[in-house]
Amino acid sequence: MNPAPSAFRQQLLGAVPRLRRYARSLVFEDAQSDDLVQSTLERALTHWYQFDQQRDMVVWLLSIAHNAHLDMRRKDSRMQILDPSQLQTAQDSLGGDAGVDVGLRLDLLAALARLSPEQREPLLLVCVEQFSYAEVAEVLHIPVGTVMSRVCRARAAMRGLLDGQAKPGAATLRRVV
Amino acid sequence: MTNHRDAIDDELLSAWVDGELDASPEQRQQVEAWLREHPQDAARVRQWAADRDALRERLAPLLGEPVPPRLRALVLGQAEPAQRRWLQAAMAAGLLLTGGVIGALLGRHWRDAEPAGPLAAASAPANGSGWVQRAAYAHSVYVPEPRHAVEVKAQEEHLARWLTRRIDLPVKLFDLRDQGFELVGGRLLPDGPGKSAQLMYQDAQGTRITVYLRKPDQATEAAFRYEQQGDVGLFYWVEAGAGYALVGALPKERLLALAQEIYRQHPAPGAAATPAAAASR
Repeated sequence: MNPAPSAFRQQLLGAVPRLRRYARSLVFEDAQSDDLVQSTLERALTHWYQFDQQRDMVVWLLSIAHNAHLDMRRKDSRMQILDPSQLQTAQDSLGGDAGVDVGLRLDLLAALARLSPEQREPLLLVCVEQFSYAEVAEVLHIPVGTVMSRVCRARAAMRGLLDGQAKPGAATLRRVV
Repeated sequence: MTNHRDAIDDELLSAWVDGELDASPEQRQQVEAWLREHPQDAARVRQWAADRDALRERLAPLLGEPVPPRLRALVLGQAEPAQRRWLQAAMAAGLLLTGGVIGALLGRHWRDAEPAGPLAAASAPANGSGWVQRAAYAHSVYVPEPRHAVEVKAQEEHLARWLTRRIDLPVKLFDLRDQGFELVGGRLLPDGPGKSAQLMYQDAQGTRITVYLRKPDQATEAAFRYEQQGDVGLFYWVEAGAGYALVGALPKERLLALAQEIYRQHPAPGAAATPAAAASR
């Protein structure tokens, strides 16, 4: 297969910041999110000819990231939900700034990290990437109805965590202020 | 309206928050009617929307992070460290544009905190900074010297080692013979509160150029600029923890070719900033 043409590469480069943000909010740990980004880009460059110019590059790219993430989780069982003791590190790595509502912000990421990847992914895609349910369905290879219910459950679970209605053992997730 | 009880479940409310019901006005209106009658659900939905906005806002700063040079090189299929590309692009642009325009393109402002010395004050240029002016003066002082142009001659092996030690920067004796310039030698110079090194080259016609090397001030940002002072042209840039000024009474294109050659031979960048991001913005 021919190497990716330069127009494609430029387009891909433009999508890298969003890919990196997605990887870091999905995986939290720097080294692992870097791996995810790298392996996603490598796959995109190898399969550039599969990209349909009619489509949104970011949707296509995050769908590759989703697959790469699944592969990483299969290979590495450590890629499970973060242990609460790791949360502070994870939050630090996301570069929290000490704003006035720092307590709320930290809790937000902690709550996000507590969600299963199955809930976290659609929630991020809808809330942060502002994808439509149809686009999320495309990224995650699941039906739109499933997207709808996962987003709803993820949202309710996150709110529950933020309100301190956490399951036993999650006391640390209570609001700090 | 109570017959909506079964129809309006959380999933529908959640979909309404995400604007997914916009395509079916009837359903959307049902949800909105429901929310008007059920303040508790309305509060819950508002909280979901607030969580969404907070999450989006919290993660937005990650978008502003520059793409690491390694990834940039990977995506663009370039083997060389992507970090250096911006300067090459600036140099290529230098053939067509003035330094000021390049600076504007790069979106960078030259910042050099140290005050210009008394010499510089005598005829300070509109732009450029203290050390660049010192490079120009050092050039004008030593280039006309027929026999004492340099302190240490090129033939002496310790020239590079000595200068490296003195200015605390790896000094490389650039080979400009392809451009027709032979190294004459070098000297150590005072540079504000610090030290700098000057390398001098000469071509077959006796035209001399100098390369001024110094350790940049901490606040100095990466830049690539051209300045013309009388018949003398200067290309100056800061990269990988070293400041360079190439000075010579040559046509700009010729000076640029020399600057590119020096840049190409420049020691491997160390802990440099990542100017690649500046060029891509």
